[in-house]
Amino acid sequence: MASNSGSFAGVRTGELALERNDAGLAVVTVSGEHDLSTAPNLRRRLGRLLDEGTATVIDLSPATFIDSSILGVILDGRRRAADSGIGFAVVHTTGADAVDRVLEVTGLRAELPVHARREEAFTEVSSSGAAPA
Amino acid sequence: MTEAGFELTLPATAENVIVVRQAIAGIAEALGLGGSRVADLKTVVTEACNNVVLHAYEGDPGPLQVIAEPGDDELVVQVADEGHGFRPRANEGETSLGLGLPLIAALSDSFEISGGAGQGSRTTVRFGYAPPEPRNNGRPTNVPKELEIALAPGTMVKPVLARVIGVLAARAEFSVDRLADTVLLGDAVSSSSGGDFSDGRVGISIKDGDGTLDVRVGPLVEGGGERLMSEMAVPGAGSLRSLASSMEVTKGETPEGESAEFLIFEVSQ
Repeated sequence: MASNSGSFAGVRTGELALERNDAGLAVVTVSGEHDLSTAPNLRRRLGRLLDEGTATVIDLSPATFIDSSILGVILDGRRRAADSGIGFAVVHTTGADAVDRVLEVTGLRAELPVHARREEAFTEVSSSGAAPA
Repeated sequence: MTEAGFELTLPATAENVIVVRQAIAGIAEALGLGGSRVADLKTVVTEACNNVVLHAYEGDPGPLQVIAEPGDDELVVQVADEGHGFRPRANEGETSLGLGLPLIAALSDSFEISGGAGQGSRTTVRFGYAPPEPRNNGRPTNVPKELEIALAPGTMVKPVLARVIGVLAARAEFSVDRLADTVLLGDAVSSSSGGDFSDGRVGISIKDGDGTLDVRVGPLVEGGGERLMSEMAVPGAGSLRSLASSMEVTKGETPEGESAEFLIFEVSQ
């Protein structure tokens, strides 16, 4: 598991963790606070996965904050994945108010869509994208 | 700034937005705001700061100033810079303004952005301690069925009416001649002094139907409709009234429920 981590005064700054499951799917877990300063990391991480054609799930459940730049990266990732026929899905189980509210008011919970369980995201990724490597 | 207020100035960098966000969250906590209000406030302030970081300065970052002033029932937060103001940029890729401003609009009670080219910009957000009551769940209550214009009497009436009537007539596929006739009728209304209008403003509503425009002029004072029609007389050439397929003075009500007179006419292709 690779991660970028950091924290101060009890505030978790943005962390990213990458796992690959047995089926070859990648799960990028986004935790802590993510904004303009961490958006490039997420963009690079997603970019590499999509470059290699890996079906990807983004799990926002442990995130305590995301802003519009993170939503922009996720939307770009989804577009790239769709253009290349790669599976791509987003998960957010019950989590931080800030993440919930942003997904809700932007309409992205329904638009992306955002799955409430990882298993649902795995199913979507497996059925919508190319066969995992 | 009030004594209870807070002011923070720091370099406008992406890494500093979390500092502002946490400071604001601390204020929200001190004010006793609930979890979802704190979340909304953090998002709103973050997006306002993002705009400064992304758009205020080119090259080295300049100052990002954040002022928060708690009031009796709301927190007013100002996010300001000394940059060149927001500039539209195409193809920004990862630095899009696309969702930032809508998020500020959706999650604050009110917001305004002031400033201009070369003057820096200031985003002022008002944030009630209690969640705002949605007004009719975001649905408009009074959708006009027709276009309504009210203009102070003076030089702007004629050019504005001529253009609005012109575009509606063109959209209704009027011929060039009929379009010119319609604009002439608008000009006749425009030449009214405003004294005939009961609220002192030249008021016109226009409904465009299938090849017709229904125009209602008013509310007018008693006798105002007749005077407007008589002013349409062209010496030695009849009256502009003949350009309309129908024209009459009727009694009606103002939006406030007071009785008033209206001049109604229809123009068709």
